[in-house]
Amino acid sequence: MTQHLTESDVRGIAEYTRIGLSPGEVGRMTADLNSIIDSLAPITEYDLEGVEPTFHPIGGLSNVMRDDEPVPGFTQEEALSNAPKQEDGCFLIPSILGEGGDR
Amino acid sequence: MRKLEEVLNDWEAVIGLEVHAELTTLETKMFCGCKLEFGAEPNTHTCPVCLGLPGALPVPNKAAIEGIVLAGLATNCDIEKHTTFYRKNYMYPDMAKNFQTTQGPVAFCMRGHLDLDVDGPAARERHGLDALEPGQAEGNITRTEDGYTAHVGITRIHMEEDAGKMVHVGGGEGRIAGATHSLVDYNRAGTPLIELVTEPDLRTPEEARLFMQKLRAIYLALGISDCSMEEGSLRCDGNVSLRRRGSAGLGVKTELKNMNSFKNLHDGLAYEICRQAEVLEEGGQIYQETRHWDPSAKRTIVMRVKETADDYRLFPEPDLAPYDLSDEFIEAVRAKLPELPDQKAKRFEAEFGLSAYDARHLTEHGSTARFFEGCMAEAAGDAAALAKPVANLVINDVTAYLNAHEGFALDGSPLTPERMVELVRLAEADSISSKQAKEVLLAVIEEGKAPKAIVEERGMEQVSDAGAIEAVVDEVLAANPDKVEQYKGGKTGLMGFFVGQCMKAMAGQGNPKVINELLAAKLDA
Repeated sequence: MTQHLTESDVRGIAEYTRIGLSPGEVGRMTADLNSIIDSLAPITEYDLEGVEPTFHPIGGLSNVMRDDEPVPGFTQEEALSNAPKQEDGCFLIPSILGEGGDR
Repeated sequence: MRKLEEVLNDWEAVIGLEVHAELTTLETKMFCGCKLEFGAEPNTHTCPVCLGLPGALPVPNKAAIEGIVLAGLATNCDIEKHTTFYRKNYMYPDMAKNFQTTQGPVAFCMRGHLDLDVDGPAARERHGLDALEPGQAEGNITRTEDGYTAHVGITRIHMEEDAGKMVHVGGGEGRIAGATHSLVDYNRAGTPLIELVTEPDLRTPEEARLFMQKLRAIYLALGISDCSMEEGSLRCDGNVSLRRRGSAGLGVKTELKNMNSFKNLHDGLAYEICRQAEVLEEGGQIYQETRHWDPSAKRTIVMRVKETADDYRLFPEPDLAPYDLSDEFIEAVRAKLPELPDQKAKRFEAEFGLSAYDARHLTEHGSTARFFEGCMAEAAGDAAALAKPVANLVINDVTAYLNAHEGFALDGSPLTPERMVELVRLAEADSISSKQAKEVLLAVIEEGKAPKAIVEERGMEQVSDAGAIEAVVDEVLAANPDKVEQYKGGKTGLMGFFVGQCMKAMAGQGNPKVINELLAAKLDA
């Protein structure tokens, strides 16, 4: 197995994706990810010069659209039913000082 | 801090805009069938898709795709047939699925432009205009008689979705700093949103304001959004940097947010240009940062410093099929293009003999243009003769009333085209003075009566009968022989006194034009 990713890379990815990993899990995850990357190796044997990237696994599918007609969704109660905390019909979340929310 | 016009003598401002518009006239969200409704009870319009629940699959709203193609066609963009959606990943609770669905390098609409007519006081911010002759071009502008035309490039318009709404509790004034917790409402999450990005072609805050006004008028004409800057369905961010006059490089730019009115857009940019100039002139450095315009303090404050470019890990959205728009689809959308404000203005000029200025102002708002056209239809055979006086009243008085009375709409108001034409006919026939016409206009709106009824009620009928006026003129002249002598001796400024005396004698109802003519005839004889 080639060392594509180090444990430090994996800790960085975990932080980025907000996934908590214990030190033991970091080791296991590093091994798993490296073997996944290894399994992609055969693709490098093909000559892909000039081949268009595939954006969707189901070939030939395009222009999938629906009409602009409302369909019933969740009630407020249903929407909030998995929320650990709620207030005034809203999801209550802990203080989030910091960056983000900027698009 | 120095004044904007002084600063712009030494520095050239390079401005680009990012304009977000929610497609509020649609029934449903971008990728699910949840209803769009502003101000609904929190979290009453959600489903597995817009709450980002595992396994939920998005399906794009066809009317939204039509809407963005319409916007692209109306802003001279190329419509890209082959495009796809991307995921823009970020961790923030305003989007439950932890990414925003948006577009990648190829958006539905690419490489467009709008031409701005900048004239009157708005043209004064542009440096070096005096050096150009009308018709002469320099850079992206062409000099006109009373200003210039600016060609503003549009990089792209892409399709995306809006985020949910967050309220921060426990801090001061709903601010995130010091908040103990936050509340999230996902009704808005997934609202179809189109983002237009301009080239950095704007050079003055006035150009930025005019661009936004023009774009808003176009979107309103297309009927794709209610474009409320106050409620946030139309939002604008500005990127600004400065460079010394004559230099070609680009300075460090700041991004300006919270410019939720045309005035705030102009004033925020103007402040930021002056602030940057001051920092640079004192030998300081501009940092690439996001700043927030505070209209009450009249300054911009740092929101956050961008040390590194954000890594959104943009990649093609595997849950959405790519697009391969057909010519038929695009042509069907093109067929829905209404007459755009520019085209309408050109037609008003040709059809009613109006000036470019009048035509542009009448067509800025759909309801005003409709009202004016209603008046012209009402005027029938007199349309050409009444066009200018009707335009004057609409542009000056009706617009002023609309601006001063939020919530007042021309459509369905007591001021019908029929009453407007009746009023203008009274003024044109000299039955009432132009000053009285303004008074009657207000009364029509506020009392809901016909102009003739108001004129009668208030005894305003202007006396234009030359015989009746001549009698008064003779009386006034006979009563003031000394003044007549002085006038004939060269004190022609006394004309105002004679007119005033006649008006007083007629309780303000004499036609000033006829009084002037008769006085002149008798005194200068």
